[in-house]
Amino acid sequence: MDKLASLLHTSPAIAWMVAKLIIVFGGVFSLAALWTWVERRGSAMIQDRIGPNRAALFGKIKILGLVQPLADGIKFFFKEDLVPHDANKALFWLAPFLALVPALMGFAVIPFGRSFVSGGQEYHLALLDPGNGMGLLYPLAIGGMAVYGVLVAAWSSNNKWSILGGMRASAAMVSYEIGMSLAVVTIFMTTGGYDPSEVISAQGHLPWAWNIVRQPLGFIVFFTCMFAETNRLPFDFAEGESEIVAGFNTEYGSMKFSLLALSEYCHLMTASALMATLYFGGWQVPFVKDPTVMLSVASFLVKMLFFAWVFVWIRWTLPRFRYDQLMRLGWKAMLPLSMVNLIFHAWRMSQGH
Amino acid sequence: MGVVVKKVELSWLDRTYVWPVMVGMGITIQHFLKQLFTPTAKRFTIQYPDMKKEMPEGYRGLHELKRFEDGAIKCVACFMCQEACPARCISIEAEEFSDLNITQGFEEKRPAKFSIDMLRCIYCGMCEEACPKDAIWLRKDYEVAAYDRLSMQFGKWDLMNTYTEVDGKESISQDPTPSVPRRTIAL
Repeated sequence: MDKLASLLHTSPAIAWMVAKLIIVFGGVFSLAALWTWVERRGSAMIQDRIGPNRAALFGKIKILGLVQPLADGIKFFFKEDLVPHDANKALFWLAPFLALVPALMGFAVIPFGRSFVSGGQEYHLALLDPGNGMGLLYPLAIGGMAVYGVLVAAWSSNNKWSILGGMRASAAMVSYEIGMSLAVVTIFMTTGGYDPSEVISAQGHLPWAWNIVRQPLGFIVFFTCMFAETNRLPFDFAEGESEIVAGFNTEYGSMKFSLLALSEYCHLMTASALMATLYFGGWQVPFVKDPTVMLSVASFLVKMLFFAWVFVWIRWTLPRFRYDQLMRLGWKAMLPLSMVNLIFHAWRMSQGH
Repeated sequence: MGVVVKKVELSWLDRTYVWPVMVGMGITIQHFLKQLFTPTAKRFTIQYPDMKKEMPEGYRGLHELKRFEDGAIKCVACFMCQEACPARCISIEAEEFSDLNITQGFEEKRPAKFSIDMLRCIYCGMCEEACPKDAIWLRKDYEVAAYDRLSMQFGKWDLMNTYTEVDGKESISQDPTPSVPRRTIAL
């Protein structure tokens, strides 16, 4: 790292930061692109179909159609980029970025591997070093920003279906945020801190000490709320293609649509990383006390990708909720449940556990 | 009185919603794994250009005009198929030929032109049923397509050679015996 830094005429700290930026954002971005393929192939398999398997490099190398995202991307680039006549042009252009940036930013604070010492300097495998004072409050705050992407896209399209979709999606996101935050607060409380590295080290390497075992109720609430937060089925009220055409992205085409679609998958990745960190011990490897750096990264990736798969899996299992059902579930089930969870753990802590 | 719809009583386990979701996820993952570990050849989907469907017995596909071993056409130009055809896609012109031989029995009539308009044909199989000599068969080839309308007009030699590759027969483009000018019978 020092050699690389001197080659680039920067300090090692900056070189390390840039490397991390490329790894994290590039990784999440390419995983999100890959996950569009996983979603399509997975859904096909679930429905006894085959899915896209014919896209091939140079017309020859098929590798299970894995280059499909690439083909999609090229296609999106060359599509005509229409802006509706009566759309609010500035906001219409801004919306895909407003959707994508928060989805990617949430990942910044999550440690994706254990910290290591090399050459007398400690390296942390997270974009923001532990002890930055924001901790896990940061992804929660950024997650709240994600509403703007959907809402601005919907509003600027000047299309009633879009506005309907955007409005109800943002309402859902806002109401589920409370249940989610209370579930996370319970973790902060039992951990005694809100830094992700603290949360991870408090969980330890033994699976039965992870938060999933300690707070299953909190996990269910958090998990459900994550579906509402990421606008995935069963709570995909932003899109709802059988009801409101294509919802908030009806008027979008070309690369702008691609960015909106990718932002959903980036959000999914961030959400699964959050779930792995909060409830499944982050980069901790089960039963291994001091894992190597690579092993911890692999463990984190496996957990994260598993949850990303569960997102896909659930999407193709459950039908969409009705809007009133969603609101009832959010306010009458998720919020009380997370409160019960909070109070129960507060009571347990007061009993000295 | 209308149909009485029975209300389903949900057990407390179903009311939690979490358990039914997990059951549903079990079903979908079963399908997923089953499909994942099924070899491509055994899946429901037939990946068309690479794999082709084996058509069932009695399928009515592209026609073939049958021939004798020496390559002479079995058709005797009786016009039965042309009459039977509901789509009126068959048109025949008959001719006579002199050289009687054993395989052809004693017929001395054959089609000079036998054309089927594949754009009109409805593959009903009436021509096959009408034929007294079993000379026209509707077989299993279903890939009847072309880039222009003219190439969908199948002539006598096209129809005689439609299944040569499948059967491993020779492709022919000439009758073994020449035709003779029409005899005029003096009354």
